Amino acid sequence: MPRIVRIGPYKPQLLEPERFELLVEDNKIIDVNIELGYVHRGIEDLFTKRTYMQNLALAERICGICSGVHTLCYAQTAEGIMNVEIPDRARYLRCIYMELERLHSHYLWFGVLAHTLHEHEVFLKVMTERERIQDLLEYLTGNRINYLINTIGGVRRDITPKKAKRILEVLKDMKNLSNYLLMLLDSDEAFVEKTREVGVLPRGIALDVGAVGPTLRGSGVKSDIRRDDPYAAYEELDFEVVTEDEGDALARTRVRARETLESIRIIEQALENLPEGEISVKPREPLEKEEIGRAEAPRGELIYYIRSNGTNIPERVKVRTPSFANNFALTEMLRGDIVQNARLIIESIDPCFACTDRITIIDVNTGRKRGLELM
Amino acid sequence: MAEKKIAIYRFMSAGCNGCDVQIFECLVPRYKLGDLGVEIVFTPEEANVLAVTGSINVKGAEELKMAYKKLKPPKIVVAVGNCATTKGIFSEGYPIVGPPDRIVPVNLYIPGCPPRPQAIVSAIAKALGVSLDKKEDYWGTPEGFRGKHEFDAEKCIGCGACAQVCSSDAIEIIDEDDKRLVKINYARCTFCGFCQDECPTQAIRLTKEYHLSTDNKKTAYVMNEVEMLRCRICGSYYVPSEQIRWAVERIMEKAAVYRDLRKELEDAMQICPECRRKIVNVENAKKLLTSLAIKTRVS
Ligand code: SF4
Ligand code: SF4
Repeated sequence: MPRIVRIGPYKPQLLEPERFELLVEDNKIIDVNIELGYVHRGIEDLFTKRTYMQNLALAERICGICSGVHTLCYAQTAEGIMNVEIPDRARYLRCIYMELERLHSHYLWFGVLAHTLHEHEVFLKVMTERERIQDLLEYLTGNRINYLINTIGGVRRDITPKKAKRILEVLKDMKNLSNYLLMLLDSDEAFVEKTREVGVLPRGIALDVGAVGPTLRGSGVKSDIRRDDPYAAYEELDFEVVTEDEGDALARTRVRARETLESIRIIEQALENLPEGEISVKPREPLEKEEIGRAEAPRGELIYYIRSNGTNIPERVKVRTPSFANNFALTEMLRGDIVQNARLIIESIDPCFACTDRITIIDVNTGRKRGLELM
Repeated sequence: MAEKKIAIYRFMSAGCNGCDVQIFECLVPRYKLGDLGVEIVFTPEEANVLAVTGSINVKGAEELKMAYKKLKPPKIVVAVGNCATTKGIFSEGYPIVGPPDRIVPVNLYIPGCPPRPQAIVSAIAKALGVSLDKKEDYWGTPEGFRGKHEFDAEKCIGCGACAQVCSSDAIEIIDEDDKRLVKINYARCTFCGFCQDECPTQAIRLTKEYHLSTDNKKTAYVMNEVEMLRCRICGSYYVPSEQIRWAVERIMEKAAVYRDLRKELEDAMQICPECRRKIVNVENAKKLLTSLAIKTRVS
């Protein structure tokens, strides 16, 4: 007889609330039902009640972990609506800020993983080192998260040579941290054994269900918006789109760990080649048009759609977050695996439910029920 | 190390996750949460303190009630962040039924969007009556930190530009006859700094002050008071005096041709819009006002 195992919404503690219903037979997960809604705030509705500028603060609060890339993607899309081109210096500064964000996001995720695997020492080490990035972001932007650094027309704060020096100092230590993490993933039994062949997402299925970001790259697909549809200054910077072929939790973990080294490289290059000049231009009147913008968030492709009627309040803003796309992959990973691995698998996509939780998905095996329910 | 007597259970609904991550970050050893006898637990049954973040939506409300019920005595509830204090930026969101204190009793509020881990740890210490040794660098804030607001009463002209650009409807303009209050509710604020950027006289500054915890959220504001001007014709209060003075100064600066007309200009501006509309027959005043309107639009 199959039984139902529930994870969440509030117990055992995931980093965020959502409810997973697993249909389990002989310890094997045969079906999954993901229920969201605990973080739903009606943001897309709120977007149409304030000005383009005020919406920056709202976009940022879709997700407090990858807040910066939300403002970036929103600003890029709004710049399209206003026909604004940002200064070169701003393009480079955006890359620097956004890669710092990717670093803190990936490290945080590693901390959570270590916590799940009961690797207390690793957890403390990662979180302690990561504080240096948080301190740095606060020093550069005025806030640890929700830093509101991107604005329509550029960025709000410059990086002086003194600040650049401080960034480079911190990055040196972060390189050590990343190498330490990679070493763990190469040789530490606890990490390797517990994550290898867990939650396997084969390449073909990853593509079919539309996975994005490190989840997709962990299944061997070279896909990255920074390379495929370059924005900011990414086209002028050299970096590798990291992939691993195995498609298991270990592969996804390795992708993120290796990506942190790429982020460091990007920041170093951007600092070295930082063009002189202004950091922002004044936004213009919105034109009557629609626009789509994309960016590579720490969790994958982020999409903004804005429709403008020419007033200073957008008529419609639609956001497709990476975790939403990856939830479908998650269902595939869970199905067929053993129930003891469930939490680890869920965490291996680095889900961000604050991002996703603007829709309720009910995805149940054929024969039971299936649907996409908007709330 | 103190005996663990405080066990915190985190609960989030309808927030951005920022605050929840800040609570999680309090576990970093440098904040010495453990020294305060505090631990973070993962079920409400083990906890005696509930740290709530987010503005709470329809779905979260039921879960919040349940978590509160399971809490061990003395059942302390701490609202962490502005969502959890006032619903913050999500106030007008259609699924929002919070803030948490509408659903369960809340003992302490820690404003911020999000509050730094330092603010959370020190609020807990304060509530416990423990004084922290804040020697380490990270207790300070860097230059340009966006904390609680401060008014420069001398500079503020009461124009309300800050309220117009505020990203979170955190600034109220309250007119009470002969005075206008500009009230910044920092427990509703996102600390975006738009008010500081937009203020034409640099009268608002976001300071380094970040220890904002309180058990009475009604006190979470900073306010400035400016004097209102009476209309020379009907006698009603209609605009802050300083705003008119400031406007005249600017016109003088930008349009030197009007220097000789300063007196007339000041007189004309001391007439409320209502009466201005009525003085159609006063030819000179009309001419002056029209040309001024054009001039100010150009500058
Ligand atoms: S108070 Fe601000 S940081 Fe905290 S959950 Fe709400 S929006 Fe996020
Ligand atoms: S910083 Fe100023 S403008 Fe921004 S939310 Fe707070 S009060 Fe409003």
